[in-house]
Amino acid sequence: MSTETQSLLSQSSGSSDLKIKIIGLGGAGTNAVDGLKLDDLGDVRLAAINTDAQALNASPIAEKLVIGRSVTRGLGAGGEIEIGRAAAEADRDAIARLITDTDLIILIVGLGGGTGSAVASVVAEVAAKTGALVLAFATLPFSFEGARRKHIAEESIGELRQLVHGMIPLPNDVLLQEGEEDTSVLKAFAVADRWIGRGVNSLCAMLLKTGLINQDFGSLRSVFHDRGGKTVFGTGTANGPDYVKNALEDLFICPLLHMGDRPSQLDRIIVNVIGGADLGISKVNEIMSLVSKRFGSREDLIFGAVIDEARHESLEICVLGKADMEVTAAVEKATATARTKTTLEGGLGLETEISKEDKPPRPVHSSKLPKKQQTLEVNQDEFTFIDNDEQRGYFEKTDRNEYNGEDLDVPTFMRRGIKIKIK
Amino acid sequence: MSHSRVVGAVEIGTSKVAVLLGEIVGESGLNIIGHSASSSKGVKKGVVTDLNAASDCVHAAIMAAEKNSNSRIDEVFLAQTGSHLIGNFNVGTTNVSAPDGVIRSVDIDAAKADAKRRKLPNTRTYIHHIQNPFSVDDQLVENPLSREGRRLQVGYWSVHGDSDIVSDSLRVIRGIDLDVSDMVISSIASGAVLLQDSEKENGALVVDIGGGTTDYVLYRKGYIVKTGVVPVGGDHITNDLSIGLRVGRKSAEDFKVKHGRAYYQTGDKDEKVWTIGDLTIGDREYPLAAITKIIEARVSEIFDIIKAELEVAELLEPMDIASGIVLTGGSARLAGIDEVAKRCLGLDATVSEGSVDVAEELRQPEYSTVLGLLHYALTGQDASQEMAKPSSFLRKISGLLNI
Repeated sequence: MSTETQSLLSQSSGSSDLKIKIIGLGGAGTNAVDGLKLDDLGDVRLAAINTDAQALNASPIAEKLVIGRSVTRGLGAGGEIEIGRAAAEADRDAIARLITDTDLIILIVGLGGGTGSAVASVVAEVAAKTGALVLAFATLPFSFEGARRKHIAEESIGELRQLVHGMIPLPNDVLLQEGEEDTSVLKAFAVADRWIGRGVNSLCAMLLKTGLINQDFGSLRSVFHDRGGKTVFGTGTANGPDYVKNALEDLFICPLLHMGDRPSQLDRIIVNVIGGADLGISKVNEIMSLVSKRFGSREDLIFGAVIDEARHESLEICVLGKADMEVTAAVEKATATARTKTTLEGGLGLETEISKEDKPPRPVHSSKLPKKQQTLEVNQDEFTFIDNDEQRGYFEKTDRNEYNGEDLDVPTFMRRGIKIKIK
Repeated sequence: MSHSRVVGAVEIGTSKVAVLLGEIVGESGLNIIGHSASSSKGVKKGVVTDLNAASDCVHAAIMAAEKNSNSRIDEVFLAQTGSHLIGNFNVGTTNVSAPDGVIRSVDIDAAKADAKRRKLPNTRTYIHHIQNPFSVDDQLVENPLSREGRRLQVGYWSVHGDSDIVSDSLRVIRGIDLDVSDMVISSIASGAVLLQDSEKENGALVVDIGGGTTDYVLYRKGYIVKTGVVPVGGDHITNDLSIGLRVGRKSAEDFKVKHGRAYYQTGDKDEKVWTIGDLTIGDREYPLAAITKIIEARVSEIFDIIKAELEVAELLEPMDIASGIVLTGGSARLAGIDEVAKRCLGLDATVSEGSVDVAEELRQPEYSTVLGLLHYALTGQDASQEMAKPSSFLRKISGLLNI
């Protein structure tokens, strides 16, 4: 990170008048925002955008926008992405009004349906003009919801990733692993919302509260200065006497940090901890050194620590990391013809799995050199291709393993919704 | 004819490269004179994904086997697997030509040709045409020659593969200047050595669960009626464990080998196992239940897929598979895997102890495919009805390499 940029930015947007808006898109996104329980943070505004007027009416959110009345007569997109897209286009101006005068936009969207992903694209486009920083939390459908939703969601991810500064995918299949045994389907849908809540809360707390180590909007912007690329998000939490050790362990086994598709190397990482008054600077130092050992060198790591007086022997750690994409490697295609071995330098250090021998060369890990100019000129199609190729972890570079609409390379227990308790 | 030739049986597996050297003396003598197995690189789900890496380890394995037998390979028999292999059952029909209704060899040839008439697109290559029984006016007959009837039919189980993938594997062998004289799909090779003739006659299903693929072959009444490849193997179990337990691949592999069982049982909830302690943060204990549940989901899915494929082909009739399931391949070592096979398919299942005809060290499941290849090197040449080769086979595989 460039400290110059950071100081410049922090001058222009001090945390006191920072404007944050959290916008739920579509049915799933609106539900998630409805259920959001933020610590007392003051001026964080909530909004919702949907094509379904009735669903939106039921929401307690103050700022609501029904879009595409002319297209859907307020009846929703019925899972059709084309209808969602037409609706968003029709009300582009209203969307623009909703997001003007905002510094940080956090989108919450469920991908796989008609409205969410279509609207997200338009919001992101409009936001690009206002200069706001846009982060998106996007839930991906359960396997049991069918191959069609899954395909729509996968396409939407690729599109969205290019448009926003940070795009955090939350596969429901993965998150279900975190719930209690025998979680009902309804509860299962709420699991993702809880994760989003933790992430959003930690982000806002870091930006708005004062703490042991303050981080402001400039720091966040320095991590997410470019659009595109991959974002990694993970949290860990613990209560009780051993809270530092346990929260770290919880973070390190966070399922979102262990998905097959995560980038092999992160370029910039922001870590925030929220603890009680008993969280002294020595504990913070301990956490900082262990976290940086795990996720990368200290130069790449921005660390924030916030005190929440309501907590005692309680700690929440939140990690957001960004990996830029290497553009030139985009066209490399998986073939069996002579491929030279490349070794991975550095590495995320997340786990031993990134063995340098049997890992196929990754075309998209990025250099640490600044290359803003480069990434701005990106051809979207190329990126989409990488995204699809990249999401498959160990089995990338092989043909997709489709069987009856399921990808057999994805763990069976996840596709079947079988809960694995590892604690 | 008493000259001898040295046949190298090579299987480029996802986790292991196995090489077996057999000296074939005269018409029917076979001495196994060398073997080697080493871990494989550049191969995933049974398919070469990195030609250089795969070549390096295959060449090393072949040279090791040549060295320890102090001999040179004359020709190579190569195993094939991967989800690109597709099988079809084709029936050839002909009306008996002679007015007296007596079947002559010209009729038999016509029926055979009719069964193999289906042309493949350029991107596909036939690997096997496996003959099934003849029928004369819908009566099954072993040998139709000189019988009387009006209509003669013969069925073939034909397997074809992706030309590019097949030629990639041939390139690996040609890289050290050896000729591939034949290719045999892994399941057929394993089945050939693991089953007694009586088992083939009673009906048996051989399931070879390797690192990246599961290959199966179904025998009924002595004939191969179906083969298949499920592109899932031990690698997937490891990957599932790695994701589910959130540990590295190496720890996941260790868990699988040391504590893995193919099915979950109630007591697993209370039993704890540890990661191999490097005592860093993250080194922790896991309930055995987590491991066994993850494995059970994966293993039972493999058998469920086989079951579905056999059911679609209307071949899953326990009466006709009286000898049950024979399990082999590296992943057959997984405790309790026979139990799960039994549960899913409703057939008896046993883990093969290897061919009794060979030395103890070659009875490991890793060697069953290459033993089968040698079996074909010895017997497959005489156009046995079990495995007639397309006549242009050698020309075709040369064509694939543009030589």
